Amino acid sequence: MIINALNGLVYGSLLFVLASGLVLVYGLRRVVNFAHGAFYMLGAYIGYSVAIHAGFLPGIVVAAAALIAVGVALDLVVFRKLADRDPLVTVLVTFGVMLILEDFVRTVWGTGNYAIDPPALLSGVVQIAGAPFPIYRLFIVLASAVMAGGMVIWLRYSRSGLWVRAASHSPVVAAMCGVRTNVLGPLVVGLGAAFAGVAGIVAAPFLSLNPSMGAEILVMSFVVSVIGGLGSFGGAFISAMILGQVQAFGVVYLPEIAALFPFLLMALVLVVRPQGILGNKV
Amino acid sequence: MANQTLAHSFRESPILRPSGLIVLAILTATVAILTVTGSRITLSLLAQATIISILALSVGFLARTADLISFGHAAPFGLGAYGTALVFQHGIPAEVGIWLVLVAVFALFFLIGLVVGKLNGIAFSMLTLALGQFFFVAISKLRAITSGADGLTVSLPRSLFGLPGRTYQTPDGMFIIAAVILAALVILIYLFEASRTGRLAIGVRENEERVLFLGYRTKILKAAVFATSATIAGVSGVLFALYQGFVSPEIVHWSFSGNALIMAILGGSLAVWGPVAGALVFFFLREWLSDLTEHWLAVLGVILIAVTVAWPGGMTGVAKVLRARISGRGRKGGGK
Repeated sequence: MIINALNGLVYGSLLFVLASGLVLVYGLRRVVNFAHGAFYMLGAYIGYSVAIHAGFLPGIVVAAAALIAVGVALDLVVFRKLADRDPLVTVLVTFGVMLILEDFVRTVWGTGNYAIDPPALLSGVVQIAGAPFPIYRLFIVLASAVMAGGMVIWLRYSRSGLWVRAASHSPVVAAMCGVRTNVLGPLVVGLGAAFAGVAGIVAAPFLSLNPSMGAEILVMSFVVSVIGGLGSFGGAFISAMILGQVQAFGVVYLPEIAALFPFLLMALVLVVRPQGILGNKV
Repeated sequence: MANQTLAHSFRESPILRPSGLIVLAILTATVAILTVTGSRITLSLLAQATIISILALSVGFLARTADLISFGHAAPFGLGAYGTALVFQHGIPAEVGIWLVLVAVFALFFLIGLVVGKLNGIAFSMLTLALGQFFFVAISKLRAITSGADGLTVSLPRSLFGLPGRTYQTPDGMFIIAAVILAALVILIYLFEASRTGRLAIGVRENEERVLFLGYRTKILKAAVFATSATIAGVSGVLFALYQGFVSPEIVHWSFSGNALIMAILGGSLAVWGPVAGALVFFFLREWLSDLTEHWLAVLGVILIAVTVAWPGGMTGVAKVLRARISGRGRKGGGK
């Protein structure tokens, strides 16, 4: 039981890191990045390639740096240029970016599966309630908590975090008060992309690497966002945690149809509360 | 053009335009010539393209009528295809069974439409992607009914709707059948847009609250438009199953929905026939490019970005500009 709940926590915290990247970008730019899953995949593959040569930690650092660059480029080239167009135009462009990145990953790394071992320091198991549990999975929870917690602290207590919140609330008023909203865009989108990339490499020893991992996680993080409410960190947290548990217990007790539960949960939430658990009116 | 949004590009008075019929006639003539003179491979490609263009038509119909972008239309397509396969497998009389499949698709997506109709724009698009994936997972996992990844073989009876069963699986036979159904659907959509209900649907797209204030039940209308679009996708799925004789979960995958969406956007939605033209170009481009490069996905991504950013009207937009030039209304047409 406890082991199942812990596995759910591991998966849920990964989903939360991904969804919070989406929420952060949505807050400021009012668009949803359909390439977010491809960023996750790209981070995993880049991190993997560095990790097998230079070690796991450099892998994480390089993946984060690479994805920050991709995110900043995305904001400067796409989001800013299309800011006054219909948000759906931007969504379709990010969908195009996703296709290009998928092709890139297939070209560079091929279509096979890759697996990577956790670093020596984090391998092995601990006994929890009499059952073995891999240490690495606890590290995933810790890393996610540090990332998400760090972001919340940044948004709430720092000067630039205040600016991001102000610009998310009302870009025009924030700009009139002297906030350089132009700088915030690349910052926020770069951070969102880095979250996806780091989540990818951190998850790599837990899940495996393959070219369809990006689309799968994208769909799951959308389900998290729809259940939690688009643009709400709190909602994303609650729904990611619920989905993690649903997934973990579903796989054990009803393995045949476990993969359907997140969608059924989503349907249920939509019928009862179309704007999501903590969402404002869509 | 600069600040023309997707929503704007779908706006055009919904009347039966002679120019649309002319395009249709040219298209029909071209393909008729190809039917007679073309090679078997070209014909087979053409039959496939025509079937899938019905799917693209359904995506374009939703975009045009409701301003909703669906990333999940492979779902009703797949249900139509799997439904057909199951009808034959269980020995249900096909002439009844296929209609039942389409009615079921309509009913199911009407119910879904009642729920998702509350969402607009980005939220709707995200939801359709998730919805599509739901059907993909469901079809992959429910092995008892769908045989999972192995797929189902469709064995056609000796005769179906008065035609020999073989006809449905020959390129020229299927091409003609699909083209006739496609033409009928295009005309039906034109008629729908000219009808009272069609105008009401456009009204809901433009300002739902106002239509609601006038006393109409917009929720049901939106769900009906969504379900109609899904049913057109279902028709495409039925034809696909009949022609290929085989269905597998791939046809419900998100990438299939994505392709249909790209066809619709490539064609544009200034006119009903846009997605159809988009689908034909898509198929022949893919055939041609697969000889030249392996990077079809990237090419698709670049095309999608270029068309949405620089050329929101797609091929219909180009046709519109050309028509305006020819009829001397260039200044008005270009400055929209």
